[in-house]
Amino acid sequence: MSWVKALPSSDDVFDEDVDEISLHNKEWRCNMEKRAKDGYRDGMDAGKEASLQIGFNLGYREGAVQMKTIGQLKGIVSALQCWCRSQPSRISELSLITELLRRVDQHEQDLVEAMRKAQERPPPSVSEVAGDLEDLGVDRSGDREGSGCCGKDGDSDGCRKDGEMECCAQDKDQSRSSVRMCSSSFFQTSESLEQLLQSCVELVAEMGLPEELTFHIQQLRYA
Amino acid sequence: MALLSPSDDLFDSILMADDRFHVEGYREGFEEGTRQGMIEGRNHGRLHGAKLSAEVSFYHGFALTWKYLLQNSEDVKARKRLKAVESLDGLIQKFPYEDPQYENLQEDMERVRAKFRQVCSLLNVAVDFREYVSGSAGMAF
Repeated sequence: MSWVKALPSSDDVFDEDVDEISLHNKEWRCNMEKRAKDGYRDGMDAGKEASLQIGFNLGYREGAVQMKTIGQLKGIVSALQCWCRSQPSRISELSLITELLRRVDQHEQDLVEAMRKAQERPPPSVSEVAGDLEDLGVDRSGDREGSGCCGKDGDSDGCRKDGEMECCAQDKDQSRSSVRMCSSSFFQTSESLEQLLQSCVELVAEMGLPEELTFHIQQLRYA
Repeated sequence: MALLSPSDDLFDSILMADDRFHVEGYREGFEEGTRQGMIEGRNHGRLHGAKLSAEVSFYHGFALTWKYLLQNSEDVKARKRLKAVESLDGLIQKFPYEDPQYENLQEDMERVRAKFRQVCSLLNVAVDFREYVSGSAGMAF
């Protein structure tokens, strides 16, 4: 808070004892620092309140998109496993399916684990997220010239709505940033989704199951 | 209008300074709070979205696969099963589970789960996917 130090110094209206002036100055500075700290804390609370839900919604979409394919693949292999159990002639194929299911399950767990780690990690520095905040248009909404709506507690609601609207209007930017998130080394797993899909396609073909199923699994690559 | 006395003037400027420092602090705090809230919310939301999507997508893959396996079967039992499986597929296709602001998210989720349990019992499959069936996730702070 460098601006705290830029206080008016001793060229005051009072032309008395210098010690007293400096004492006054000290007290004044102390009071103003306290005011600034109080303001900072209030602003911090308001800023968090305004952005938590927006962040949640953005993250929710990212997470949902990311698990779609692996979730479906797990459902497909599980169904195959159930089906084989009910078909006496298919029992020999069961171990192949169970092994594939284990790999798919592992992949899914790796993805979730990476997300959990990201949650536990302390927030990155300002410069790293500055771009994201700009994308979302939620930074300091309406807070201009000190007389903006955020200066008064009663109006902080208005700020939040502003932020949300801007956020919704920039959906495209959001998906852009989510692509960037997913492509980073952040969510790397031991085996690629591509490999798992390929293994599943091969298994379905080997078992002589309907071609529609093979086609559907192949489509998952582009989902 | 009455003229302000010098002492009033001074008092005003003290109050104004008081206010100015609060506002300046507020502005900095708001910026930092927004940044932190965005990160915390996003990380939290990502896990929620992932869990729900993994569950629904699982049911979807499960239903589709059974649909393909059953659709060429002739017997009566299979036709009944196929109908249930198709109905589960239909429920999921209409369910915008990727949208955290969808107002019936919880209700639709329960409907999908119930349908899945029904499908499992019709297929004589033990519902040992307990990791999914039990959990229900909150959508807001």
